[in-house]
Amino acid sequence: MAICTVYTTQLNPTCSSISKPSKSHLGFHQRQVVLYKRNSTNTYRPRSSGFSRPSYSIITCAADQTVVIGLAADSGCGKSTFMRRLTSVFGGAAEPPRGGNPDSNTLISDTTTVICLDDYHSLDRTGRKEKGVTALDPRANNFDLMYEQVKTIKEGVAVEKPIYNHVTGLLDPPELIKPPKILVIEGLHPMYDERVRDLLDFSIYLDISNEVKFAWKIQRDMAERGHSLESIKASIEARKPDFDAYIDPQKQYADAVIEVLPTQLIPDDNEGKVLRVKLIMKEGVQYFSPVYLFDEGSTISWIPCGRKLTCSYPGIKFTYGPDSYYGHEVSVLEMDGQFDRLDELIYVESHLSNISTKFYGEVTQQMLKHSDFPGSNNGTGLFQTIIGLKIRDLYEQIVASRSQTPVEAKA
Amino acid sequence: MAVAMAGGAKFKGTQMREKQLNEMIEKKVKEATEVCGGDEKSAECKVAWDEVEEISQAKADFRLKLQKEDPLESFCQEHPETDECRLYDN
Repeated sequence: MAICTVYTTQLNPTCSSISKPSKSHLGFHQRQVVLYKRNSTNTYRPRSSGFSRPSYSIITCAADQTVVIGLAADSGCGKSTFMRRLTSVFGGAAEPPRGGNPDSNTLISDTTTVICLDDYHSLDRTGRKEKGVTALDPRANNFDLMYEQVKTIKEGVAVEKPIYNHVTGLLDPPELIKPPKILVIEGLHPMYDERVRDLLDFSIYLDISNEVKFAWKIQRDMAERGHSLESIKASIEARKPDFDAYIDPQKQYADAVIEVLPTQLIPDDNEGKVLRVKLIMKEGVQYFSPVYLFDEGSTISWIPCGRKLTCSYPGIKFTYGPDSYYGHEVSVLEMDGQFDRLDELIYVESHLSNISTKFYGEVTQQMLKHSDFPGSNNGTGLFQTIIGLKIRDLYEQIVASRSQTPVEAKA
Repeated sequence: MAVAMAGGAKFKGTQMREKQLNEMIEKKVKEATEVCGGDEKSAECKVAWDEVEEISQAKADFRLKLQKEDPLESFCQEHPETDECRLYDN
């Protein structure tokens, strides 16, 4: 950002006329770079324009910088429900790049590109086996490359990103990633490396409790020949030490954590079907105002079912309140239970504040649009949708602040 | 034609991929069980189960993709002559 200040004082209005972003038909923003160099005789020769002030810098127009979102999740890449909801909020469905490697993990929509961080594995499957490290281990990942490429994309320059093929376990030839408006980096380690963390405009950690993870993996794998309850359990347990050592600690850095737990509404429930979901939102994050219930900063317990709303068993319970999370002040909104009907959803939506909707009922509409997605009747779908709207809001605020003159933006 | 496209393997390559993933899951679960029989805490054991997880997730992703359209659809439009793009008769 020091570079931005330099160009501000020396170039000002000219910058916007020289380095105009060019939009390809896909809506990507590509920035032209203007270089000014000082030669040995102490006069300069600019590459373009008759500018009279000497300087040496790479100039980028802040208004078009890509907004980068980090999502930490252990559920594979790009096809996760969260991703699909997120890209839907921004408009359009995210698809794998057409005409490229069919095993690409990347998803592209009009506004958003989702990159799978497994593409930055430094060790392929054979390599990991030889070294005795899992994919969870930082030693299996190239954080230098991750940082360089995310930084480069953020600055408006396309990169050739490697592809990790999850079927063959090999690193395939790279694919071209053009800078989108919104870049989402999804995977096991979006917040592990400090340099990458500093590039993120917003970060989310999806924290699934052990019981729920077990239930979900049973749903995922039990139909597969070769799997049994034992193998599913053994796989989770064998990965747990590395997960706890390398992945879990990233929670403390996230701006929002979605924590998924078994319900407290049904005693001794072990089916994992009814969920208790907490949305833990950090206070003081720029461009992000936490969602609240009724009265910001107070502690609320709310059961919407009653005279105005009839719910079926086990009902719905909300709580909201301030808390502390790894030393940070947070606000926590929690939903336990399930939505059965449309009117329950709209009733709940009408009582939430700071949800960044553009019209009344937008959350409900988004949930209905994807009623076939997992979690559409509980807090996971609700909070993922709300976070999607908050990210849209964050993106629009960032763009608005950058399109003012850079001096003002800096203040 | 539109009906045939949604939800299922259309091309030979996809059918083979499905078979491959199924076999890999079975094979890797067996391997992991054997390797961990010796020492559950060993690096080999956790790597073996990590591989099972990777393939299981790949299979789940594949199944999800298949619900919408054959993953080779756009590739096969460009390369209809390849072996993988032969139409698979169910």
